[in-house]
Amino acid sequence: MVTDRSDDLFHIFKEQPLQSSSLIVCWKSSDLGRIASQVVNYMIESLGGEEVAELKPAGFFTFEGAIFRDDIIQVPDSRFWACPEAGVLLFNSEEPTLNNYKFLNSILDYGERHCGIKELYTINAAPSLVSHNTPREILAVFNQVELLERFEEEELEPMTWEGPPATSSYLLWVAARRGLSGISLWPEIPFYLAAHEDPLAVKKTLSFLGRRLQLDLDLEELDEQAKCQQQQLSQLQEENEQAGALLQRLEDGDTLDEEEQMLLNREVYLKLEKES
Amino acid sequence: MSVVMYREPQLENPEMLCSWPGIGNIGLIAVDTLRGQLKARELGQIEPWDYFEPHKVFIQKGMLEELWFPRSRFFYHERGEKDLLFFTGEEQPGGREKVYAYGEKAYRMAENVVEVARKHGCRRIYTSGACVSMTHHQVKPRVVAVTSSEKLNRELKRYPNLVTMSELGEGGGEGVITGMNGLMLAVAKKKGLEAVCLMGEIPDWLARVPFPYTKASKSVLEVFGSIFGLDTRPGLLDRQSAEVDRVIESFYEKFPEEVKEIYDQRKTEAKPVPISEKEAEWMKENLDEFLKSLTDEQEKGDDNGDRPI
Repeated sequence: MVTDRSDDLFHIFKEQPLQSSSLIVCWKSSDLGRIASQVVNYMIESLGGEEVAELKPAGFFTFEGAIFRDDIIQVPDSRFWACPEAGVLLFNSEEPTLNNYKFLNSILDYGERHCGIKELYTINAAPSLVSHNTPREILAVFNQVELLERFEEEELEPMTWEGPPATSSYLLWVAARRGLSGISLWPEIPFYLAAHEDPLAVKKTLSFLGRRLQLDLDLEELDEQAKCQQQQLSQLQEENEQAGALLQRLEDGDTLDEEEQMLLNREVYLKLEKES
Repeated sequence: MSVVMYREPQLENPEMLCSWPGIGNIGLIAVDTLRGQLKARELGQIEPWDYFEPHKVFIQKGMLEELWFPRSRFFYHERGEKDLLFFTGEEQPGGREKVYAYGEKAYRMAENVVEVARKHGCRRIYTSGACVSMTHHQVKPRVVAVTSSEKLNRELKRYPNLVTMSELGEGGGEGVITGMNGLMLAVAKKKGLEAVCLMGEIPDWLARVPFPYTKASKSVLEVFGSIFGLDTRPGLLDRQSAEVDRVIESFYEKFPEEVKEIYDQRKTEAKPVPISEKEAEWMKENLDEFLKSLTDEQEKGDDNGDRPI
């Protein structure tokens, strides 16, 4: 293991794994519909990704004790994976809780210095009041006008928003300041799949990245997962009159109030958890 | 971590006025009003990203247009003699979960501000904030001073409506000036500058209210006017005070007679009696409810979601 002595922020496992690459950033801590984790895992497996570096957590996370989930201690983990043949660098991490600006710059520092990154993608999810039978769309945010113009004809839906920034937006802004072009991808997911999985949205995202980066990705497994989930939700519609009616209303393009959303969330969650 | 200056004016014997948000935004409003009246020119800023997280993103038709951070800006006003430097911070550094600055970032920001002051030849720095006291909201707020030396205390006492903390008679002349408005004084003194904090009085029970207490800002503004020989125009502050007074009076009318009786003694007594525990409890419970009703009303008009994108 080599330590980058210039700033001592990284554990470098492999030197210069890439010459010119695209960086794909996923956040574990706000992984709605498990889109980000599935995208990153799929790419690591399909493209033969290997761990190349870690961004050390000290100074970026509040260590006020140990967090545990499902009886397991959780440690912040920020890791780079390189897929040399595909020219892809993946970064998978919890979102920092301290010194975010330095953390985000450090991601790009590593990418530029060690892997020659030329563009950035961040993977997120946008829960919406849509039915699971609706074809998924990808909403997108760009940090350079030229990039936006280039993608106008593509299947990306430009987003308009004014409000609190997500870490991905902050990263996109930091990248723009450094002259690095980037896109935040926000695949739409039915809100009731946010606490579970949405294989169709994962497939949509991977399809886009596959075309854009000319990657050979076999997405058949996701078709199977999506089919299985569709069946489970159809069963729910048949078994549970109330949830069924709400799902039908979404399919008809109706909206649901907060109480109805909570009810549908709960019923879908219980059904999918039971089946899994 | 850097300070960016847009120009380098040659200032004559300048003094610096600083302020950050705090209780009732008393100091910030006073300093900012004076800055506005003098049409002070922007001099520079402390880059925000090492101190603050962005509050808002603006995305328009797919394009990330802007990320909004709290600003920490310097201004200057040339008068030919005793020029003025201003520093106003839109948020105190140290973390969004805390209102007041704390820790290393706060200290570093204070050092940055003092360095800019020194670079321009400043020998004295003023900060301004709130002094929570047993005053009455219908009484004109006094301005309470804490300084870095006895000599400065003597100098300041000649200004009307100004008292030192020990003259106020609360806390036995001891206490803490929380946040940046206090920390700046310590850093300035450590770096050999004269330091003055001018605090506008606010009644204890109003210290938690979420709106500006402009009546006290006006008192601070008047003292700044006297110190610098400036004709300050409090017109806007008067209008804002009237609006705030209306809200305060509407709660004051709800006071039970026994609470009102004790509280009203503050208008005349030289040494006011603190309200009893029972009455303080009544005030706390009812004020919370009153403030909640104000907040609810405000939220009704706000249809911005809070999901980060």
